[in-house]
Amino acid sequence: MNFGYLLIVSHSDTVDYLQLAYGLALSIKNTQKPGYDKVALVIDDKEKVEQLKSPWVFDHIISWDEQTFWNGRSWMDQLSPFEHTVCLDVDMLFTRDYSHWIDYFVENCDLYVANKVYTYRGDVATNRNYRKTFDANQLPDLYSMWTFFRKDATITKDFFDLGRYIIQYPVEFTNIFLTAYKPKIMGTDEAFALAAQILDIADDIAYPLEFPRVVHMKPLLQNWPWPADTWSDHVGFYLNKHGRLKIGNYQQNDIVHYVEKNKIDRELIHILEEIAWKR
Amino acid sequence: MTHGILIYAHNTRAVDYALMAVISAGLAKKHLSMPVSLVTDDSTISWMKQSQTFDIANTVFENIITVDRPVTDNQRRLNDGETSSTVPFINVNRDSAWSLTPYDRTLLIDSDFLIFSDVLNKYWHTDCDLLIGESINDINSQDRMKYLDRHISDTGVKLYWATTIMFTKNQNTRLFFDTVNHVKENYRHYADVFRFDHRQFRNDIAFSVSKHILDGYVESNLGTLPPILSALDRDILYSVDNRRLTFLIDHKLDNNYCAASISGVDIHIMNKQSIIRNQQQLLELI
Repeated sequence: MNFGYLLIVSHSDTVDYLQLAYGLALSIKNTQKPGYDKVALVIDDKEKVEQLKSPWVFDHIISWDEQTFWNGRSWMDQLSPFEHTVCLDVDMLFTRDYSHWIDYFVENCDLYVANKVYTYRGDVATNRNYRKTFDANQLPDLYSMWTFFRKDATITKDFFDLGRYIIQYPVEFTNIFLTAYKPKIMGTDEAFALAAQILDIADDIAYPLEFPRVVHMKPLLQNWPWPADTWSDHVGFYLNKHGRLKIGNYQQNDIVHYVEKNKIDRELIHILEEIAWKR
Repeated sequence: MTHGILIYAHNTRAVDYALMAVISAGLAKKHLSMPVSLVTDDSTISWMKQSQTFDIANTVFENIITVDRPVTDNQRRLNDGETSSTVPFINVNRDSAWSLTPYDRTLLIDSDFLIFSDVLNKYWHTDCDLLIGESINDINSQDRMKYLDRHISDTGVKLYWATTIMFTKNQNTRLFFDTVNHVKENYRHYADVFRFDHRQFRNDIAFSVSKHILDGYVESNLGTLPPILSALDRDILYSVDNRRLTFLIDHKLDNNYCAASISGVDIHIMNKQSIIRNQQQLLELI
């Protein structure tokens, strides 16, 4: 089986996305079984990777600077060096072995996009504040931060071709298809959901499953009784020396999409590096 | 393996917990066909003798276990319909249930939990050492249940209800009750860590924190008893007619009451005084 995780980063003046991708890649190496721990990095400045202490966590480094951010991520099917790929947002951490999820998707799917997220307590997130475009326009509830695809599948090509086209022409697609509530930005979530709806494949690529389980730390998703601007004002983020992560009083066992980019600092990277070096 | 029910009762100047325990025990014994034991203290027994409930207690309870009266300055706001008062509240020794119970498998219930069905009999032989009330079901509707009726704090863990607990006496449950004791002894510390209000010791919180810790700091669906049907202390037990209990429900919590009645289901009546007011009719049911 030729499977791997794909991370796509580009330069930003405010956030060191390479460091976030490095943290995620370390956590993948630290938790996944051999054969399920391959990581490919797409980056616009390949030389920066050489400055990392353990650049070997990236099995493939692909230099590519034709697009940035969402535009770049919509090219995931063409950029991936793997036959089967999960493309991830980089502000995530793995906390245990998820290879059994991958076995299911490789066996059963050509394309699957996460379609529900969880709070740090393990409950399904129910707040719809960030999903007004999806609800008003009856789009499938896709979260592109965890996207599985088989590279040579027809559905994969159709889906990403259209997704790219939507991101390329956001105003036109918004004015035709998203009139009930227009998104401020046509991100990959919106573009992928609209592509799935136009192609009428939502039931094929986002049917209900108990996995992948991704804890989404956008503050309003936490099912708290009040609105919050930043989740870290209210609960702590603790990574112990064994790489076990707690948020508040909850041990995290799912993929954690921590959202607040400053959570990955030198200290946390050092903990992850030490674990990786000792493996 | 011996099975039985355990109830704690330490009277205060405001509430006759012993009388409530007699009623609760009598109903539990009748509907679950299990022996019941009481944990109490000398001063409560003295009052029981004075108030003529000791004779009934001796017929209802298989054992009356006397312990030192716990020393606590715990207080709580207790409503009785529209009126309320702040009263002392002696609830700090529930963690001793493991060592005090005379049974191999014990159903530990609050004295204001009245059993009118045999639902809990289904749990004696489950393959789970410890079970605890999962949540409360409001007698009116879940609309009256607030966030802090489901969680120990705004950001804290799920709140379980120690109104009903069933446990097998073994090393696993000993660890659990030791942890409850540890949380109780270090209540301020755990209030900081779990962000709950430390000003009043609550068994529900100590048991919830202990369960969370021993479950590995995650939520677990294992080890729960059914949700506890509850009438809030702002509700009033109006009458007891045979097995039918009629309540006046403060359905919007604004002192406007409507009637509701139940029959043949277990009920947690938080308004203690209204149990006392209906003592005669309830005692006739046991």
